[in-house]
Amino acid sequence: MYKYILSEAGNINWMALFALITFMTVFILSAILVFRKNNDFITKMSHLPLEEDEAGSTK
Amino acid sequence: MSKIETFHYDDKIVRNFAVVTVIWGIVGMTVGLLAAIQLVWPAANLGLAETTFGRIRPLHTNAAIFAFVGNGIFTGVYYSLQRLLKTRMFSDVLSKVHFWGWQAIILAAALTLPLGITSSHEYAELEWPIDIAIALVWIVFGINMFGTILKRREQHLYVAIWFYIATWVTVTVLHVFNNLEIPVSMWKSIPVFAGVQDALVQWWYGHNAVAFFLTTPYLGLMYYFLPKAAKRPVYSYKLSIVHFWGLIFIYIWAGPHHLLYTSLPDWAQSLGTVFSLMLIAPSWGGMLNGLLTLRGAWDRVRNDPILKFMVVAVSAYGMATLEGPLLSIKSINAISHYTDWTVGHVHVGTLGWNGMLTFGMLYWLFPKLYNTKLHSVKQANVHFWIATLGIMFYCIPLYWAGWTQSMMWKQFEPDGFLSYGNFLETVTQIIPMYAMRALGGALYVGGAIMMAVNLYKTAKSGSVEDKSTQAPAREKYVAHKGEYWHRWIERRPVQMLIGSTVVILIGGLVEIFPMMLIDNNVPKIESVQPYTPLELEGRDIYIREGCISCHSQMVRPFRSETERYGEYSKSGEFVYDRPFLWGSKRTGPDLHRLGKKYPDSWHYNHMLDPESMSPGSIMPPYPWLIEDDLSTKYTAAKIKVLKTLNTPYPEGYEDDAVDDLQKQAAEVAASLRADGINQENLENKEIVALIAYLQRLGTDIKPELMVEQ
Repeated sequence: MYKYILSEAGNINWMALFALITFMTVFILSAILVFRKNNDFITKMSHLPLEEDEAGSTK
Repeated sequence: MSKIETFHYDDKIVRNFAVVTVIWGIVGMTVGLLAAIQLVWPAANLGLAETTFGRIRPLHTNAAIFAFVGNGIFTGVYYSLQRLLKTRMFSDVLSKVHFWGWQAIILAAALTLPLGITSSHEYAELEWPIDIAIALVWIVFGINMFGTILKRREQHLYVAIWFYIATWVTVTVLHVFNNLEIPVSMWKSIPVFAGVQDALVQWWYGHNAVAFFLTTPYLGLMYYFLPKAAKRPVYSYKLSIVHFWGLIFIYIWAGPHHLLYTSLPDWAQSLGTVFSLMLIAPSWGGMLNGLLTLRGAWDRVRNDPILKFMVVAVSAYGMATLEGPLLSIKSINAISHYTDWTVGHVHVGTLGWNGMLTFGMLYWLFPKLYNTKLHSVKQANVHFWIATLGIMFYCIPLYWAGWTQSMMWKQFEPDGFLSYGNFLETVTQIIPMYAMRALGGALYVGGAIMMAVNLYKTAKSGSVEDKSTQAPAREKYVAHKGEYWHRWIERRPVQMLIGSTVVILIGGLVEIFPMMLIDNNVPKIESVQPYTPLELEGRDIYIREGCISCHSQMVRPFRSETERYGEYSKSGEFVYDRPFLWGSKRTGPDLHRLGKKYPDSWHYNHMLDPESMSPGSIMPPYPWLIEDDLSTKYTAAKIKVLKTLNTPYPEGYEDDAVDDLQKQAAEVAASLRADGINQENLENKEIVALIAYLQRLGTDIKPELMVEQ
């Protein structure tokens, strides 16, 4: 099977389809899941760089 | 609630990296300025081989990428990683080894590149011992980073850290694959891949050096330092997640767009184009995320130089990542490729995105690291304007130059002849643009020096304090029902590492494996033969002098090119080219069909004084090739290595190679003498080897020569 796939490599079709389908799957899945979920956690994560300033540090 | 723990951040390592970022930045930019000046006044090479364009151009690119941006990355990573994870770096010893190891590598590059020790792979020019050192230091950095992540007090990994992880893993993979080479001597190696395959691996590396050294780590820095400077969280954390996965998945596929219309198989070129266009989406998602972080803070941009630097940086990122995909469209690439348009494009990225973000980050960091205020906000503002003007003076003339030159290359007269048949006309036309570019570069370096003074005075007015910090210990995390899905991976750095590796490997494997394994992708041409020992030595001189910086060896299948140079280049012609020397810029003409075009004496005189053969040429003279004796110390070793890589030299040929070399050298010397060049010991000089190589170029399938035979 692997040999067959490689021998077909001169033909772009399977690569274009594979690449497009993989990408669209990863992209759409992550977009849907990311935009559906929990805002509190997202807010907490986005404030991580600012925590040091907000809390201050002690000598 | 967990127990509160008290600890110290290691800011000394951050200070060290920050200081060398400034120093190497100025050095790298100054070398770039010297190279730019030489394109206007070739005499600025000071008459020395070590400071001639072909050798200092890789010195400039390596210094800018790995010394300036590299140390900039480490400055930002060492500062932000500790704070985002609320812990000190894993090991102070590893931090020190990383710091000094990296500086030693830079020093080795600064010594070897001017000496002409180069593998000629763009942005990977350093020879094998330094490659090994880079791999070791990079692993030390990786252990230190992952060790820090594992001992963290913060449960979840902020998005900046994902970018650092993806950077680390991808650079590791790229560095190893593009530097697979067999040593011939301490400072010379021969790459495992040849011709088209070498080209694909090199540009898979070259493009992703831009992607994963100049972009992803800097996006990590943007996601940390921009919110810090703006004093507000990133516009959309959700968008940053999509930005991350989209970007690292797509970037790795885009390398072949550097090889459009070359002898690379068409399917690989098409893949490069498609994925480059798709890159606009995640890139612009990230750019907008950065700019929108400033929502409600734009009034502060007017007064705060740090924010100004960052806004221009993010805008330059947006411009470069729109332009890059457009340049990957074949019809646009047909115009832009090999011209200064590409150089202009690259510098929007490096001067705009990397440079300005680094400056912003340093202005923000120094007062924090030295517990004081910035010495002069006014000077930082002046620096901002000088740098911005510098970028404009640099890039706009180069866009103009690129477009002008390309149009001149392609212009035909109504009777079917090239309007500018003499390549030199297309060069002299754009020299004023080169002068303006040098002015832009000078402004930019001037700004950087101004920053160095400002930061030095800031450091001097402050003091170094070892502040302690407190944070609760990390609790064992208990997942709860219905939790946000991505949290799973955000608290598992190892899975994040594996996930990133899988994502980046998909593109690499699909492109490269078929190229390596299928013979049909590189059709063989029977008349193509391996180089003779003398040609091989001449080729190594061509590599040493960095001729590739200005001359391509790839005639594209356009009428304007076949008319000017001859038959277009075929992939089968390069099967013995280790490394491939297709080049990426034509400051001078393409050389692939140069062989037998001019007599040997023309080359001799041209290398001694290019203007004697081509008045007005900006090519530097190479008198040392005429004075220096050719070394044949490693000729046999080179043949031996090439034989192990299946170059079909006869059995035991390594023992006869030097004899053959001397025979051919005597023939070239005789032809030079016949033309009136009477130099003592001519047959022992380097120029003879170079002439032999240049006269061989592209002749294996030259129809008129084959008919003669």
